Amino acid sequence: MTISVENLETRQVDPTKPLLEVDRLVMHYKIKAGEVSAVEDVTFTVHQGEAVGLVGESGCGKTSVALSLMRLLPNNAEYVSGQIRLDGEDLLQLTDEEMRTRRWKDIAMVFQGAMNSWNPVYRVGDQIREVLDTHFRGQMTYEQQREHMERLFAAVGLPGEMLDRYPHEFSGGMRQRAVIAMALACSPQLIIADEPTTALDVIVQDQILKELKRIQTELGMSIIYISHDIAVIAEVTDSLGVMYAGKLVEYGPTTEVFARPKHPYAYLLLKSTPSITGPRRQLAPLEGEPPDLLAPPTGCRFHPRCPFATERCAIEEPPLADIGGGHRVACWHWEQVPDLEEALLR
Amino acid sequence: MIRFLARRLVQMALLFVVFLSIVWLLLQAMPGDISDTLVGNPDIPREVRFELRQRLGLDQPLHIQYITYITNFFRGEMGVSFSRYPADVSTVIWQHLPRTIVLFLTATVFAFWLGFKSGKLIAWGRGGRSEQAFILGGVFLQTVFYPWFAIVMMWVFGFYLGWFPISRFIDARLWQGSPYDANDLFEQMILSTLLVTVVYVVGRVLIKRFATTVTMEARLRQALVLVTVGGLILFWYLHPARTYVADIAHHTVLPVVTLGLVTFGATMLLTRSAMLETLGEDYILTARAKGLPDRVIRDRHAARNAMLPVTTSLVLSLAFVIGGGIVTESVFSWPGTGQLLLQAVMVSDIPLAAGILAVTGVLALVGHLVADVLYTVLDPRIRIT
Repeated sequence: MTISVENLETRQVDPTKPLLEVDRLVMHYKIKAGEVSAVEDVTFTVHQGEAVGLVGESGCGKTSVALSLMRLLPNNAEYVSGQIRLDGEDLLQLTDEEMRTRRWKDIAMVFQGAMNSWNPVYRVGDQIREVLDTHFRGQMTYEQQREHMERLFAAVGLPGEMLDRYPHEFSGGMRQRAVIAMALACSPQLIIADEPTTALDVIVQDQILKELKRIQTELGMSIIYISHDIAVIAEVTDSLGVMYAGKLVEYGPTTEVFARPKHPYAYLLLKSTPSITGPRRQLAPLEGEPPDLLAPPTGCRFHPRCPFATERCAIEEPPLADIGGGHRVACWHWEQVPDLEEALLR
Repeated sequence: MIRFLARRLVQMALLFVVFLSIVWLLLQAMPGDISDTLVGNPDIPREVRFELRQRLGLDQPLHIQYITYITNFFRGEMGVSFSRYPADVSTVIWQHLPRTIVLFLTATVFAFWLGFKSGKLIAWGRGGRSEQAFILGGVFLQTVFYPWFAIVMMWVFGFYLGWFPISRFIDARLWQGSPYDANDLFEQMILSTLLVTVVYVVGRVLIKRFATTVTMEARLRQALVLVTVGGLILFWYLHPARTYVADIAHHTVLPVVTLGLVTFGATMLLTRSAMLETLGEDYILTARAKGLPDRVIRDRHAARNAMLPVTTSLVLSLAFVIGGGIVTESVFSWPGTGQLLLQAVMVSDIPLAAGILAVTGVLALVGHLVADVLYTVLDPRIRIT
């Protein structure tokens, strides 16, 4: 079986050009008890060909950000303010119908529940064909569609005959590969991978991440990885954002954030994760739970759990400020946060 | 597949023998026999009664009667009806069966079709204003005391508004001196409807295969409905027996609607909850992310999967056609097998009652077989082995 993306359309990449700009995005869920501030003032930019990672604990707003970008939020969600610009165009201003035609064509998604991403009663090939029918209506013959789908399957290392199988006949890893193949169907500029490998075993997880990375660089796509597992994400991303309680608390080049996290939350999150390749180290559990977003803490949302917190943290909200080299941190005391490497060596 | 069917048929045959035996024994357990009804009057000499019992074989020991009944049954002889002597049980059932089947089939098919559509739509437009009204109506129809509901329907539409005849299958005055037999005419009506249905289904398949665009398909489908339904109506309009046919149709409406409404409520609620469950599935989110139009997500992805539990309930309800008809047929004096069964049991007409229940059993067994085969078509995860 040969894996090749040769026959798929590749894109010229200019890494200085922004593709997706999320600008001060605020999104709330309205429930009976009040408003849940799920995404609060999130700003980041994905450049052409860039891989961006978003990490954080469960319930910190990662998936809400992902769904916001595609406008797939449930009915009770409300965009309070901010912009999501794709190639300079604000997606929040589009009509529902315009947005529908953009989905998958411009932004495709690899979902968290990859196992259940397939409708059990249709053949996998027919579910991919549906995408082509919708976005290239009348532009492809049945045979051309088949040919295209076989190329997509080849790109993720699946034999073309598998197109005629039902989802339950695939293994977990194969299903996830097929999902990636489907995501490539319209050569989108951006893929959002929400926990793409969470349900898979470690070996398959590694294979799939590497393949996704290779496809992404070779085809010149941008990608947003979303995961709770910072170690997994650090391997494949260029930039890394850390989210806490609906806010982006740290953002910067992956190497910087990973080696020298400056936000206490990012620092503690990293310290609580064992490293397979790095030095053996004492693990420090991250105490407490993320706050209730119906009534988030005043000031810095992390202050109730933060060992560095002072009175100021409870009153004033720290801005996401640049500390040099594109590394941005939302903390009043970032200078006190020790370097992770130093801390580990001690 | 063939091995599965063969094995299932053997199982079904065995099950049927057990079923028939139980039914027969339970009927025997009823106190008294037909002679109580026919010659139970103390003024009639006892010898008459003895002779009657002897002639009907009721004086034989139970096990002999049982063996005689079972062996005759599998020779194709269901015996002679005691209360309608000397008519054969099979003849009597055959006379009544079409009326029951038509009543139930029409009511069930329409109720499921409408119930599925409206259940699908209210689940899709969740939170809409009409949702509460539909749920309230559905719960009312599902839980209402059925005989009372039937009488209310009769009172409103038959008596108060006077739109439909109150009961029975035909209007006796109209049919007096008629050159036609109601049963024959009814059978012709069924046949013509079946023929039109077949034409319609074939037409739909052909349209699906040969239509090139979506709008063309929609147009052709409308044309097909017009031609088939129009053709059927025109045929009976030009038929010499038109007034008699109209009379039968007129009598059919109220029982069909009443029965249909109750099934409709249950189906709608079932579809709604099944649909709400599928709408929460991950593949619906995938379908939305793929940029599919809402109609495609609703019909192709959500409703298609919500169909599975609804199909189960459809098939099971079809199996209960005959037994479940007792109430409807009694209230509307509808001369079908349900009413026949009730009458047979009242007078201890054991061969007739056992015959009707046997037909019910066969329908139930066949219904389950059909359901199992249908599942494999609807859900590729289910395999027959």
